[in-house]
Amino acid sequence: MELDDLKETWKQSNKNQKLKNTDFMELVHHKSYGPVSQLKKGFLKQIRLMIIVPLLIFATNLDDVQKVLTSVLFWSYIAFCAGLVIYSWRNYVLVRKMEIKDNMVKSNLEQQVSALETRLRWQINGVRIAFIFFMVLTEVLPYFQHYRMLDKWHSLSPFIRFSVYAALLLLQYFAARAVLQRKFGQHIDYLKGLVKEME
Amino acid sequence: MQNQEVEKQFEKHVKENELLIYKICRIYAYTDADRQDLFQEIVIQLWKAYPKFKGQSKFSTWLYRVGINTAITGLRKQKNSVTSYEPATLPIHHQDENNYEGEEERLLRMYNAIEQLNQVEKAIVMLYMEEKSYDEMEEILGISSGTLRVKMNRLKDKLRELTKNN
Repeated sequence: MELDDLKETWKQSNKNQKLKNTDFMELVHHKSYGPVSQLKKGFLKQIRLMIIVPLLIFATNLDDVQKVLTSVLFWSYIAFCAGLVIYSWRNYVLVRKMEIKDNMVKSNLEQQVSALETRLRWQINGVRIAFIFFMVLTEVLPYFQHYRMLDKWHSLSPFIRFSVYAALLLLQYFAARAVLQRKFGQHIDYLKGLVKEME
Repeated sequence: MQNQEVEKQFEKHVKENELLIYKICRIYAYTDADRQDLFQEIVIQLWKAYPKFKGQSKFSTWLYRVGINTAITGLRKQKNSVTSYEPATLPIHHQDENNYEGEEERLLRMYNAIEQLNQVEKAIVMLYMEEKSYDEMEEILGISSGTLRVKMNRLKDKLRELTKNN
């Protein structure tokens, strides 16, 4: 069967396609369920959550405000949340760029691959920075304030503590790579495959 | 007031080119539900990108770009299985056409063969069937017209083989 022979049938079939009386302006107000919209929603949710949680911690300790405001742990947590808000916002901006889809198909795909790879790098580094942040915090906290929960940990020898940190970092490195590869890596490979197909 | 004007203009443009969206959905989605989802997603993306449309290219060219981009990168479910089209979802033909059944069957076989192509190949075949020139195809896909010609020849052979096997 020749493709060219079917051109006329193709045209006819489309001409006779029954069109529904679609209300386009009603349709555009529906929520988008595309992956980019889902990512955007996820980041906005993360930003909201990271703003609300410190406020909740503060609210539940209103009976002793002074204690909360002088707690190194509380301020460390605020710093962590602020970092996460900035990180999520940058991700949000990056993902928003992926939403513009009126470029030529090939350049759009290349743009998506580059944005996703950047995001993947940020995510791997972001998780690593968060891990290091909490490790440093666990080590330096006793110098500023006494926390009973850290007594047992600090009673261990520095060699054991730092070995555990190193093991956790190593584990995080492989776990993050595996999880992110499963979450985004396959999609990036798929997009790269399409770009290659266009060369 | 200005917004209403833009909405009217958008609606007019999309209505005039509604068939193109149906064609993209038919090529890229396999069930009625998926087609409806994709149709809605394309219209939403068109609306979002509409402020960027400055009329430098034909609206249909611009629509193909947005539509194909949405279909290729936006579908969450990847379906590798080959499914047949149900008669109810096929376009309606004039019943008085002489070789109606033969043509429909041939088209159906071709659709089944197209389903087995990858996303880029599907776009090339669809634009070819729409009788787009290679220059226009280049404007939509971003593949040079020389490469497109080579690809199209290979695709014709591939489809010939696939329809033989169907």
